[in-house]
Amino acid sequence: MTPGMPQKLSLPGVKHVIAVASGKGGVGKSTVAANLALALNMSGKKVGLMDADIYGPSVPIMFGLGTVNPQTTPFPLQKYGIALMSMGFMVDPNQAIIWRGPKVAQAVQAFLGQIPWGELDVLVIDLPPGTGDAQLTLSQSAPLTGAVIVTTPQDVSLIDARKGVRMFQEVRVPVLGVVENMSYFVGDDGKRYDIFRAGGGQKLAAEAGVPLLGELPIDPRVAECGDTGEPIVRKYPDSPTAKAYLKLAATVIAETGKPAAAPLPEVQL
Amino acid sequence: MANDVRPTSLKREGDGLKIEWSDGVTTFATWRHIRSKCPCAACLEERGKPPDPFRVLSPQEAAAGPPAPVAMRSIGHYAYQITWNDGHSTGIYPLEQLRALSGEVKKEQ
Repeated sequence: MTPGMPQKLSLPGVKHVIAVASGKGGVGKSTVAANLALALNMSGKKVGLMDADIYGPSVPIMFGLGTVNPQTTPFPLQKYGIALMSMGFMVDPNQAIIWRGPKVAQAVQAFLGQIPWGELDVLVIDLPPGTGDAQLTLSQSAPLTGAVIVTTPQDVSLIDARKGVRMFQEVRVPVLGVVENMSYFVGDDGKRYDIFRAGGGQKLAAEAGVPLLGELPIDPRVAECGDTGEPIVRKYPDSPTAKAYLKLAATVIAETGKPAAAPLPEVQL
Repeated sequence: MANDVRPTSLKREGDGLKIEWSDGVTTFATWRHIRSKCPCAACLEERGKPPDPFRVLSPQEAAAGPPAPVAMRSIGHYAYQITWNDGHSTGIYPLEQLRALSGEVKKEQ
């Protein structure tokens, strides 16, 4: 295989591969990916979660897991009914991964193609921020059903989220929709506060011609749950945030029910 | 070209590639023309330089003869990658480019 040549991967047991992406870092992609995976599982789906953020993996902490011995531990790991894979399972959290792009692409391909994911209804992929190696590798070699774009309401996030949408459109991966995270905060007085401004997700969705899949409120318990290894959807299933995630999962399930694009035809040489 | 237009069939025909598209259009481009428009970084840089009259062909290039593909495979939902008989294989041609290239050379009725 020539270096740089994307290897085509097939995941015969996986019905849908959904990428959770954004242009900007810090908008809550990993939180959305983890809670979406759990919400899909709570909706009766068999789900896997692959952490494609090689430099800054978040899945281990969000699921209360640490490093394991890759020589003796079979991957993917299982927690709360979800099949999990992350670079954070193999590298000490205090150690930095200092790799150039091709190594990242190789790791992403290995996670996708060499991990026995088994039979899954949905494999959620938590992407790193940006439009770089991991995104391109997945677009070129993985049978992606679609991408969910996460943004926060303010322009500084939208400007990069727009690039994420554009990237997926250029490589013809369907954008299932936009999720606006940290949309608003409901105070003790019951009033809604638009802390990071309002309407950004709606604006991006309208521009891109895709649905706004959900507006997720700010809830301090989201951070608490992430840090203690039990995502909010599971720990506080009756909270408004958990309900918003379950609604998001239902929308994603409905979107994946639409007919997928057929693969490109083979060339008769 | 609209983003939902895609090829329905791609066939070698004579010294080139015939593509039938989902909007009913059929296009053709010679392999030589497609090779000359390789979108990879190395070829783009090469094309940006003034021609070198003293460039020496590699033995593989010299032995290859006229450009011809030895493999062509789809990349995701948006492109094809061609491996050429001169050993070059890093060019990934997006569908839009294949359509534009073909239109430039000859469009079959």
